[in-house]
Amino acid sequence: MAEASNEPALRIAGLRMIYNPGLLQKPKLAVDNLDLEVPRGSIFGFLGQNGAGKTSTIKILVGLQFATAGQAWILGTNIVERGARASVGYMPENPYFYEYLTAVETLDFYGQLSGMAKEARRARAAELIESFGLGHARDVPMRQFSKGMRQRLGLAQAILHAPPVVILDEPMSGLDPLGRRDIRNTILSLRDKGCTVFFSSHILSDVADICDRVCVIHRGKKISEGPIHSLLSNRVLEVELAASGVPPEGLPDAAALARRAWHDGALYHLLLADEETAQKAKALLEAKGATIRLLMPHVESLEEYFVRVTGEKPPAPDAKVRGAAE
Amino acid sequence: MSTFVIALNTFREAVRDKILYVLTLFAFMLIMVSRAVGWVSYGGELKITTDLGLLAIWLFGAFIAIFIGTGMIYKEIDKRTLYTILSKPIDRWQFVVGKYLGLLLTIYVSLTILSVIFFGYLALMGAPIGLPILQAVLLTYLEMMVVTAIAIFFSSASTPVLSAIFTSVLFGVGQLTKWIVDLGSILRTSAPWVEEFLHGLYLVMPNLHNFNVRQEAVVAAGNAGALALPWSELGYVAQYGISYSVVLLLLAILLFRRRNF
Repeated sequence: MAEASNEPALRIAGLRMIYNPGLLQKPKLAVDNLDLEVPRGSIFGFLGQNGAGKTSTIKILVGLQFATAGQAWILGTNIVERGARASVGYMPENPYFYEYLTAVETLDFYGQLSGMAKEARRARAAELIESFGLGHARDVPMRQFSKGMRQRLGLAQAILHAPPVVILDEPMSGLDPLGRRDIRNTILSLRDKGCTVFFSSHILSDVADICDRVCVIHRGKKISEGPIHSLLSNRVLEVELAASGVPPEGLPDAAALARRAWHDGALYHLLLADEETAQKAKALLEAKGATIRLLMPHVESLEEYFVRVTGEKPPAPDAKVRGAAE
Repeated sequence: MSTFVIALNTFREAVRDKILYVLTLFAFMLIMVSRAVGWVSYGGELKITTDLGLLAIWLFGAFIAIFIGTGMIYKEIDKRTLYTILSKPIDRWQFVVGKYLGLLLTIYVSLTILSVIFFGYLALMGAPIGLPILQAVLLTYLEMMVVTAIAIFFSSASTPVLSAIFTSVLFGVGQLTKWIVDLGSILRTSAPWVEEFLHGLYLVMPNLHNFNVRQEAVVAAGNAGALALPWSELGYVAQYGISYSVVLLLLAILLFRRRNF
């Protein structure tokens, strides 16, 4: 099917995935009636805990698994058609490559599978190897690559043929801060070039930093979806107040109003329930001669939003464990 | 195109795998040992050398097909190298056929190297390299086509250990298939279902004995104009080998095409 220009980059309708592990085991529902649209040229974050159904959804999109029900389209082409995969670059979580191939050979191999002409793939491979900081390892076999280097090469093979849609499964998993920054910058530059990036992550701060839209999936079901700013509550959750020069007799009254009070050297901190209480505490402290150094309302973070909509703890940044049927 | 890309990559993997060199060395040593065995056999030095040389080439091909082929697809799944390949615009059958052709190319290149060594060795001994020997080697090539297809079939659905067991059993049974139909009379049973069952088994099992003309080649070697097998029969055996391999590959593709990874 030809690419329809008004079609979103990615459209998922009623997607359902049930795993049948065996005769004596109960079937497991991994994705439950998922509907989703990813606008073209956006960075879309796919959030959820381990086993939420993120990887299952992604594997269906790239042809590694077959949905029990429902359909999906990439730029208007049904994913069951081979042509849909020509428009997609995919990086699995912890990408694995042939150990005996060098970085150059690996990219050349994937370039051939993507149908790229010899000259084009060689030029593009050389460009990506340099831009991902792998120039020193271009002729090194993959078995000698570190995790971070593999991750970068994984991203390079995904974007080698300049696909309009890039799907990344946990691209920042297990990387050090510098590695995460590099991947983040690459994702941002892909969007700047008009590419759509759909990625799953359990590192909420990374998602909050770069995503235009997010979808939260929990136990296979979509909990919410939209631009981050529209999802997060603007309601003030609590107010932090810091003051210096607080006389000893001035502290108990203000501390009684606070949820939590502590001191950091000469600076006294109070965590107060709302702005009205914060104003009361401020007035009390100022009356005793204290100087207010900080009065900062806390609005909802993505992490708090995650807890609110799922009712569970947010995923731990470095506690990602592969779920068999995630 | 993608099929050949996968095939060439599979070949490259095998070439860079040390096990191939170990097996080649083993086969080379077996050809050399045939000389020593020839010495201790009165008057049949050339025949023993030819027999053992052909046996070494055949065993070597079967070893590669079974021990590399049976783990081939499973390894791709287990090591997850498959993920980035199947997400590219290729069909799953291309992957299976690519792996098959890649392994077959590996086996054929290795067998060719060994055959050249073997023929050179025979030439050094002053033995004629006639058509019977060439036919025996050609039939080994054709047999390996079937054995590789068996290995790929099991590898697309099972673990390497189970695949190796199943393929080895089928390889062994395949050498004895022509006796399966006679088994009923050997067992002295008159039950018709036994006969039908054995006949069915005969039809399903690969008849690898068809590809074995090594003894005939040894006997006919040196006789001008002699053949180990008439060309028409060789053509029939080739057709059988190709058909059997195609059916097995189709079954492997059927097993593989709807699998979730």
